[in-house]
Amino acid sequence: MLSLLLSQLANGLVLGGLYVLIAIGLSIIFGLLGIVNFAHGTFFALGAYFGVSLYGHFGWPAVLLSPVLVGLLGMAVERLLIHHLYDKEPLISLIVTFALALLIEALTRVIWGGLGQPFNAPPFLSGIFLWGPVLVTRYRFAVFASTVVLLILLWAFLQFTPYGRILRAGSRDPEMVGLLGIRLPRVLTAVFGLGCAIAAIAGVLAAPLWTVDPTMSEGAIMPAFVIVTIGGLGSFPGAVIAGLAVGEVIAMTIQFAPAASGAIMYVFMALVLLLRPRGLLGERWERFE
Amino acid sequence: MSLGRSGATRRQLLTATGAVGAAAGLGMPFIRPAEAAGPIRIGVLLAKTGSIAGQAQYLWYGTQLAAAERGNKINGRPIELVWYDEPSTQGAQQNFHKLVQEEKVVAVLGGTLSSYALAEEAAAQQLKIPYCCDNAAATEMTGKNCNRYTFRLNTPVNVQADMFAPFLMGYGKKWYFLTASYAFGQDIAKSFKALLKAAGGTIVGDDTVPLNTADYSAYILKIRAAKPDVVLGGLAGDLGTCLKQWNDMGMKGKIPFAEIAIGDSDIWGVGPQAATGLYTSLWWYKNPANTEAEKKMAAEHEKKYGKPAADKSWMGWLSARSLFESIEAAKSTKPMAIVEALEHWKDKETGVSYRGFDHQLLLPNLVVRVKPKITDKWDYFDVIATVPKNKADLAKVYGTEAEVGCHFPPV
Repeated sequence: MLSLLLSQLANGLVLGGLYVLIAIGLSIIFGLLGIVNFAHGTFFALGAYFGVSLYGHFGWPAVLLSPVLVGLLGMAVERLLIHHLYDKEPLISLIVTFALALLIEALTRVIWGGLGQPFNAPPFLSGIFLWGPVLVTRYRFAVFASTVVLLILLWAFLQFTPYGRILRAGSRDPEMVGLLGIRLPRVLTAVFGLGCAIAAIAGVLAAPLWTVDPTMSEGAIMPAFVIVTIGGLGSFPGAVIAGLAVGEVIAMTIQFAPAASGAIMYVFMALVLLLRPRGLLGERWERFE
Repeated sequence: MSLGRSGATRRQLLTATGAVGAAAGLGMPFIRPAEAAGPIRIGVLLAKTGSIAGQAQYLWYGTQLAAAERGNKINGRPIELVWYDEPSTQGAQQNFHKLVQEEKVVAVLGGTLSSYALAEEAAAQQLKIPYCCDNAAATEMTGKNCNRYTFRLNTPVNVQADMFAPFLMGYGKKWYFLTASYAFGQDIAKSFKALLKAAGGTIVGDDTVPLNTADYSAYILKIRAAKPDVVLGGLAGDLGTCLKQWNDMGMKGKIPFAEIAIGDSDIWGVGPQAATGLYTSLWWYKNPANTEAEKKMAAEHEKKYGKPAADKSWMGWLSARSLFESIEAAKSTKPMAIVEALEHWKDKETGVSYRGFDHQLLLPNLVVRVKPKITDKWDYFDVIATVPKNKADLAKVYGTEAEVGCHFPPV
């Protein structure tokens, strides 16, 4: 039993890692743009679809291009659509991005069809290894390691580069950043593209584990919203902690009460919000009050 | 001389009246009675969205092929297929009403999911319109919920379980149940548990999985620890995700994974690396026992859609074929005439027919196993048995009138 529990804990950590990756782009977009992006899950799914198509035509290395393409698509969407929502009420952005999600899902169905697309992990990452009593699969371990590296790079970018400082300042006081001569609209376009590209990385990594079909986004969007809410809207470290915690809570629920595993993350969210209404690491942002 | 304030002349008025009359006759067929010599409109209710839409696409291909093979005509009148979505249970029922009341269809084909089909079956009884269900497998459809207007092709869950369980017992009697928390999954769990118990088997694990579960790894860890002889799945749309993760966690080939009532397209979407398992199926495009008409349909399918016919294509095709041939035999589009013709319909090559007391099509099932090594993009299965072995046993395995419990309400 102890071996099984340790394996479940390790597995929950890996699952949480994938959830963090899905949620972090949503958190960045909300934190810097103030947009509740309901279409985030479809950019996750597009990452998987582009990965499948690129692999089919050009082999494994080409899969790396998928997040780049989705990021560029995200930038185009920001210029054409999202850009007009910044001075509108949050509810408008919710409705518009929800419509965008439906549109992208319908287009996915038209382009790739309604059936699942076969896609598996590269052969060198297949198989399992036992670390003491803990079972870990090579591919999931690689997903977790990629997530950790990506999060460190992202944190370093936001914390230590001039661009990161502009982004952080812009999220708090966009007017002041504009008065300092920085062209904020371009920055916002880049941020939206970055959020979409991170979602696409999560999509590519999830594709060998999830069914790649037009409904793939539905499995991603709700956990992403729950994690961002638990962590605190717009909080980078909050999303990381919340993602890992949700992964663990789900894994343990499956072990002891599997029928409740679908609802447990919502119960967890409700408990956290009762104790901390702004989430675990949520702060009071004047823009959103 | 002008008439009224608009300044229109008598000639213009007469011309306009004539034009409206002509338009009513030519361009507004809905005001003509359904028995007139215009097209025969047939409603199709299949999901266009959601995880089941992939299977529905193949059902639609089969329906179209059934119309095409007869030159898109019944008794010299063109067939017009009107396809509406099944967005939800309520939406499916509403669209059934729309097809009948607004589109004036004479019969309806469809029913992608059991929950939708049960709602459509009730609408068929209410509106007194023939309904041929081509996919749903819920036991009660031709059981306690049956009615005279509904005809069902797919084998009920409890009958598939009866046919399949003896094979699975050959692998051992310690089973782990992994079924989705909705009607279909629970129907599977209930049927197989009863059979396992009767055979003296043991349930070593029983997990009810929420629909649209994205991560099965925690369940698979539990299965691994329980060491069952067989894992009995009832996951429907989530089967692909489960099998991918089953393979990722090194379980492929270690413990047999079995499920009933899946679609070929569910396994095609998993990919050759991860696909595994034992399943029941009604038809397989490479089965040497396929009839000439089936082979012809499969060839047309490949030619028209660029991929082999799936089991769902065949189900859509046979269901539509039974309806078209029955309308032809009835020489009428009146609902009761079609119902009576369907009750007397028999497939010319295989001899299969809808049973009189519950309108269930009595079909043998195939037990298929995923090939150990898949070299073709589509050729995933080996057919290992046809059940029951003797066609004479079909009526017995589908249950007696008392066992099925169908009592048609008054028409």
